[in-house]
Amino acid sequence: MNKKLRALVLLAVVAMLAGAMGVSAQDNKVTFMSTQFNIVEEAEKFRAILADSGLEVDYLPSDEQPVFDTLTGEAGQEVGSVDVVGALHGTFPTLVDADVLFDLSGLLAQIEAEVDIADAFVELGKMGTTDYQYYIPWMQATYIMAANVEALEYLPEGADLNALTWEQLAEWGANIKEATGEARLGFPVAGLWHRVLQGYLWPSYTGGMVSQFNSPEAVEMMTFVRDELWPNVHPQSITYEFMQEPLLSGEVWVALDHTARLIEAFNEQPEQFVAFPAPAGPAGRGFMPVVVGLGVPANAPNPDGAVALIQFLLQPETQGAVLQNLGFFPVVAGVDTSDLPEGIAIEQAAVSAQASAPDALPALLPVGLGARGGELNEIFKAAANRVLLDGEDIQTVLDQEAAHIQALLDDTGAPCWPPDPAGEGTCQVESLQ
Amino acid sequence: MRFRNMNWAPYLLILPSFIYLLLFFGWPMIASLQLAFRRDSQILPLRAEPGAETPVVGELERGTTVEVIDVQLFETQKAGGLLTEKVFWLEVSGPNPEGETVTGWALRGNVFVQDASRSDRGTVRAATATLRAEPHPDAEPVGELPRGTALTILEWGKVDSKVAAGGLLQKPQNWLRVSGETASGEVVEGWVNRAPLFLEDAKISAQGRVQSGEGSKEWTLDYVKRMLRDPKFMQALRTTLLLIVIILPIQFTLAIIMALVLQSQLKFNTLFLYIYAIPLGISDLAAGLVWYTIFTQNGYLNSFLQSLGLIERPFIFISSTNKEWIIVAIVLAEVWRATSIVMVIVVSGLQAIPRDYLEAGELFGASLWQRLRHIILPLLKPSLQVALILRTILAFQVFAVVVAISGGDVVTVLANETYRWYDIGAYNNKNVAAAYAGFIMLLSLSIAIFYLRAVRTQEEKEAAA
Repeated sequence: MNKKLRALVLLAVVAMLAGAMGVSAQDNKVTFMSTQFNIVEEAEKFRAILADSGLEVDYLPSDEQPVFDTLTGEAGQEVGSVDVVGALHGTFPTLVDADVLFDLSGLLAQIEAEVDIADAFVELGKMGTTDYQYYIPWMQATYIMAANVEALEYLPEGADLNALTWEQLAEWGANIKEATGEARLGFPVAGLWHRVLQGYLWPSYTGGMVSQFNSPEAVEMMTFVRDELWPNVHPQSITYEFMQEPLLSGEVWVALDHTARLIEAFNEQPEQFVAFPAPAGPAGRGFMPVVVGLGVPANAPNPDGAVALIQFLLQPETQGAVLQNLGFFPVVAGVDTSDLPEGIAIEQAAVSAQASAPDALPALLPVGLGARGGELNEIFKAAANRVLLDGEDIQTVLDQEAAHIQALLDDTGAPCWPPDPAGEGTCQVESLQ
Repeated sequence: MRFRNMNWAPYLLILPSFIYLLLFFGWPMIASLQLAFRRDSQILPLRAEPGAETPVVGELERGTTVEVIDVQLFETQKAGGLLTEKVFWLEVSGPNPEGETVTGWALRGNVFVQDASRSDRGTVRAATATLRAEPHPDAEPVGELPRGTALTILEWGKVDSKVAAGGLLQKPQNWLRVSGETASGEVVEGWVNRAPLFLEDAKISAQGRVQSGEGSKEWTLDYVKRMLRDPKFMQALRTTLLLIVIILPIQFTLAIIMALVLQSQLKFNTLFLYIYAIPLGISDLAAGLVWYTIFTQNGYLNSFLQSLGLIERPFIFISSTNKEWIIVAIVLAEVWRATSIVMVIVVSGLQAIPRDYLEAGELFGASLWQRLRHIILPLLKPSLQVALILRTILAFQVFAVVVAISGGDVVTVLANETYRWYDIGAYNNKNVAAAYAGFIMLLSLSIAIFYLRAVRTQEEKEAAA
């Protein structure tokens, strides 16, 4: 027998033994199906983190559709095949409708006895109910503010960086402009501008994203942006895609953008930049988190294992490891950032402060628009750009674009998503009811 | 017999290229134009049974209100039974375009079901379902229903919880009061746990609307109208034409001068050629980025002006209030990037001009200007014509340079709008995008025809007459 063949036979025997052991250990196995980390390298990194759990976790990265198919398909069986499901907030409505998830209130109470989970996300996990915890928040990604330390001396009197308001931001910009002669606030108008509008400005002033789109509060917001904020915004903002570049070049001193689009600034010059939460408006501190949650199917084969796995994933150490290796931010307080790369540590403090701010108002990515989600982005951008860049009348523009939004909602039948209040049927722009 | 004596060989030789052209130019062009003029996903075929292979029994138009009669989960085995694809099919009934009521099965995704009322129908999918007198697993059984029995749901109830992991996990159980027919034909009523039932998706209501289909035979101008109504359309058209009007004369003047410099046999002739040709090797996006870094606030131009002491603080060229400067930057980038392609064509045209003509001109004492005006330019006409057509068509497609320099919002062009309508992150509407593309093609075609007629040589004019 040649060497190669012998090695092959040996390998086959080992594989069979390992398989047999796998079967015998199946009782303790926890099956974790997740729509996140489904790229091979990410999945490998995440499996390495899971290896520290002391559990035997079978990690199954997947697309969204197979999650629906598996969980609804197995709903009638006494014992299913999945113990824990990890998915974006937007995946859960379908699972809630299918009525296939455990209420995790008890588990949440136990976890919260040890770690502090951001309340805003816990609320999202109830999916509009008051007493049914469909998912426990797992991790987040979001948009935060960044400022050059040189700008700090122009901060309006009495303004707290961690509790800034939009008015104070405008005043800050005006102070900077007065002192340096240049407008140095910055927004990614050629980048994720629509998220700034959908998740920050509209919710902060109207408390909703689409339901109050052309309300008097929205008009007030747009007037404020046009008259007080925009004159202090760097005119070259129309070309900014990633705010890290104008921040590093010094063109812009204060900016709002996605953490991934600011990270270079914090990594390259950690002493030069500070991170802090987005400003608040009259209706709250609107911000747009991408929330990933953990649910347990009602027919989980190993519910005890599921509980242990969720407890492990919510530990600050695990959350820190996920942040360091996979770039998703923690939802719990008390993550040790001393070992993290400096840029990530700076961002982490701001992300955490933003999510746990007392007036935090999470505005989620649109749910239920399907392939036409991009259209909503275009409508928001058109509304802002027509007012700010083309100088059109605010009320006229908002009314016209509100009609476009309603047509889109009617076509897709999308129900409201947070922060707009959940209601029966298709979401409505209130003024058009 | 002329026909028989004809030499077929050249035709046979050219046949493959002809087929190639038809396949790779004609067909995609027609297909993309169809997108702009043919209504898409408008007709929903209804099938006799759930499943795409069953015969079509009727058609419904998009927007028709339908009655939802039945729901079925349709399973297809794939990969030799390893994977099961599960999709919902609805049995719907509604008026077809001719006004007759048709009934048949359609994929759930194609029918928008309006309200979230609960279904009152279901089937048993466990081996049997035990009906009980009370909504409780220990309650007295009142009947057994076999797999596949159709049920009518009379009442929804929520009772006791399934508890796991020492009480950390809870699941309230839905119990339903249902009525159904047992194996012996007796109708029984009782409570049953939701789990062993297949509910026709709790969200299915009795009313629905057809929201998409599989194409249609209908022609439409809707997409073109949508494009014309788009507020960005006129802006884009105006900017595109403005850019052409500014850029083309500059490019042609420069290209002819550059070509003459090369022709004049100076000492570092080839060096000039290489320098001129460099931009040819650079992508338009890169060219746009180069000029962006020149014109940006802390860019090369501002640093240069500051070091000369001409300005005290950087001047912001690219801003929402400074459209003129954005246009200037785009013009410079385009001139820098695309003049050499014109030059290459002009050089080859110049080389084709016989020396004798120029020598004859010189002999009769014509000045350089006279030679240029009366000998070189007329003889260059065919090359200029080619260059003009090529440059104008490319100018209608200008895209990356504009987006890189302006961000694409304040200053926009036709190609940028085409992309915005096509982009999944934006409008995601390939039909309107195709209308834009068709419009650009129409402009290019008419301009090419105009050039072919306007810049004719003497012989061509005579031949036409």
